Amino acid sequence: MKILTAIPKPLRAWVLPVLLLITWSVYGHVADNLSPAYVSILSVFERAYLLLASNELQLALEGSLTRLIKGLAIGAFIGFVVGGLLGASRLLDKLFGPSFNTLKQISLFAWIPLMSIWFGMGDTGKVVFLAMAAFFPMVVNTYEGVRSVPRELLEVARVTRLSRWQVIRLIVLPSAVPSIFTGFYLSIIYAWLAGIGAEYFLSSSPGVGTLLIDAQEHFLMDQIIVGVTVIGLVGLALNASAGRLEKSLLNWRGKSTATY
Amino acid sequence: MSKAGHLNLNHLYKSFHVKDKTLSVLEDINLSINPGDFISIVGSSGCGKSTLLRLIVGLEEDYQGDLLLNGQPIVGTSLDRGIVFQEHRLSPWLIVEKNIGLGLVNSKISDAEKASLIREHIELVGLTGFETAYPHQLSGGMSQRVAIARALVNRPKVLLLDEPFGALDALTRSHLQQELQKIWEKEGITMILVTHDVEEAVFLGNRIVVMEPRPGRIKKVIDVDLPYPRNRNSLAFNHLREQVLAEFGEDAQGSDETNVALLEPGIDLWRFSW
Amino acid sequence: MTSLTDYAAKTSAERWAWFPYKEQLWRALRSDRALSLIFPIALIILWFAAVEHQWLPEQILPAPSLMLATASDVISTGELFYHTSISVQRVILGFLLGAFIGLVFGVFIGLSRLAEEYLYPTFKLFVQVPSLAWLPMLMMLVGLEEALKIILIAKSAFVPVAMNTFNGLRAVSNRYIEVAKVFNFNRYQLLRYVVFPSSFPPIWNGVRFGLTHAWLALVGVELLASTEGLGYLIVWGRQLFQMDLVFVAVVVVGTIGYLLDKLLNHIELKVLHWRRDSF
Repeated sequence: MKILTAIPKPLRAWVLPVLLLITWSVYGHVADNLSPAYVSILSVFERAYLLLASNELQLALEGSLTRLIKGLAIGAFIGFVVGGLLGASRLLDKLFGPSFNTLKQISLFAWIPLMSIWFGMGDTGKVVFLAMAAFFPMVVNTYEGVRSVPRELLEVARVTRLSRWQVIRLIVLPSAVPSIFTGFYLSIIYAWLAGIGAEYFLSSSPGVGTLLIDAQEHFLMDQIIVGVTVIGLVGLALNASAGRLEKSLLNWRGKSTATY
Repeated sequence: MSKAGHLNLNHLYKSFHVKDKTLSVLEDINLSINPGDFISIVGSSGCGKSTLLRLIVGLEEDYQGDLLLNGQPIVGTSLDRGIVFQEHRLSPWLIVEKNIGLGLVNSKISDAEKASLIREHIELVGLTGFETAYPHQLSGGMSQRVAIARALVNRPKVLLLDEPFGALDALTRSHLQQELQKIWEKEGITMILVTHDVEEAVFLGNRIVVMEPRPGRIKKVIDVDLPYPRNRNSLAFNHLREQVLAEFGEDAQGSDETNVALLEPGIDLWRFSW
Repeated sequence: MTSLTDYAAKTSAERWAWFPYKEQLWRALRSDRALSLIFPIALIILWFAAVEHQWLPEQILPAPSLMLATASDVISTGELFYHTSISVQRVILGFLLGAFIGLVFGVFIGLSRLAEEYLYPTFKLFVQVPSLAWLPMLMMLVGLEEALKIILIAKSAFVPVAMNTFNGLRAVSNRYIEVAKVFNFNRYQLLRYVVFPSSFPPIWNGVRFGLTHAWLALVGVELLASTEGLGYLIVWGRQLFQMDLVFVAVVVVGTIGYLLDKLLNHIELKVLHWRRDSF
């Protein structure tokens, strides 16, 4: 117990990762019958270098991120419009809300095979699937945001005789922005998750998921580790940029709304 | 009947350190409170009256001067001193009975005695029949009554009330003021009430402490000789009210609220150090 | 036989006198329920029309009659039940495992500052990698058996539960803590009477998220690395270009997902009935 308090605070976060790395490399030197899945830390770096040098890694990243952006753009935008419409119009909500909620229940990945038949196994199928993944959270959160505009603010708008468009622009949208942002953040997360699943199932074009599946088929554990690390780093970057965007948009709120 | 406490405040000073500056919140507070007194502390925002209360109950520490209860210096919280906050702060997941029972968790009496004490106090605040209700089922006034019962159930020597009726509507407020007065007469506990409502202060207290802000100091202590129960409409009552209000005439300038962002130590209380 | 003028002279109430349920029918047609059915019914009509006129090849859009036939076939042979029960068993096992570990871990780093300092940063990094990204690695490490699925499902449940437990514990309102301080609660009493009850709602939220993610992971794993289960059914149907089978399996996936969430909702209502109105 005393050792734990002896280590200075800034270093404490590193203890576990360092211990894991040490265990990893020691295992390689010490174990008798090494599992075929074992690769040394060095080989991971070598593989990373290989992938970078052959441009494979860059292509994979480019592929995945391009599809992510395309799918996000389409899915989040349509989701924003649909969510806004459903939130603003009671009638539309009654007509389409229940159907939407039913479709939402279906676990995301169950759609992949359907998408693959309707849109093919190539990039189109993947982008459509990504768009779907981005679509659902966006609708739900935009809907929430539009619905929960405080009535008091709307009454002020009526009293000051604002036109419908002005009400939407000046009151509804700003008030709904936190929810919309949460929706967008979730869209990114789900689209990224969906992207990897899609690449496993519909593999052909370069992508990080394809990289992983290829590695698994060829028993290249070092490539898998590189792939997983890259995916983690992209996830980190997405989170960080979402966080920074949120701060600038929502600094009047104080607390973060982004939850897992 | 619980034993009432004798409070002594001698040359009490309290300051907060915000960033590099030192903010003096209380300056040279001298007060002697006899057992069974009802002290009303009135003052405008920023005069430190809440801080004074929190010092007495032990939620704030680190003061200069003497703060004595029955001759013993006050260190931290204790079951001797109870407090009713402006928000009722009832645990939403407990029924009324159990909420009041929280005050008895640390008392060493038997379960049967605890049950009878809880029943007594439910009756005292007029909530018989609501023992098994959840806080969300109660009105604001009722919740505050539960909070009062919870603060009294372990027979403290001193009961502190920090603007307890501030969040309630006028009708409930006046009703609860009367109830509080009855409880005070019945139990005889020393009570210290902080309020910005002068009428409430005159109605309840047998002594009124007027505080002025920046830094918090006692401006004047006014004895109230009116008989109980108080009559809000009597000439004497109104005269006294005018007298107290007059004390506020001088510093009529608006208060520049200095937001003292206090660290929230709460979470460290229950986190283990290992 | 009454003449046309006689008929026109009658009031609306008189014309409808032979049909006593007019009021109810009228109300039902205008109800929300009816409105919500317009869209699905329109889709089904469209579906029939599309099949009738062969707008899309049968492989992409199967006839409704075919779908019903497949559905009854796969139910009566017990096949559907078999695969569904395998999927449900997997998800429950994985979820319970992951949620339990998540709770323990979340409480551990929530209660101990030291534990948080050592473990939270690594945990935060670990969370960045989506569950499915671990699939290839796990396939290499543990093969394609049950262990693979359970581990992946457990991991998916673990993350939201641990996160929400940790955040819930840290977010206990200082106001309740002050009350406990006045009553001289010691650490154990604080935990028992204030901290844990007050952090139960966010912890429960974490549990619900955990189940949703567990189900998501299950379908994903079964699509890619399984020989039975609902996900497998979907893939098999797709490979045989039997969209009817795929449809049926997808409907079942949606239904089970819905039922699982409903179950948790029910439990919440029973246990947390004080929550809905007060938090």
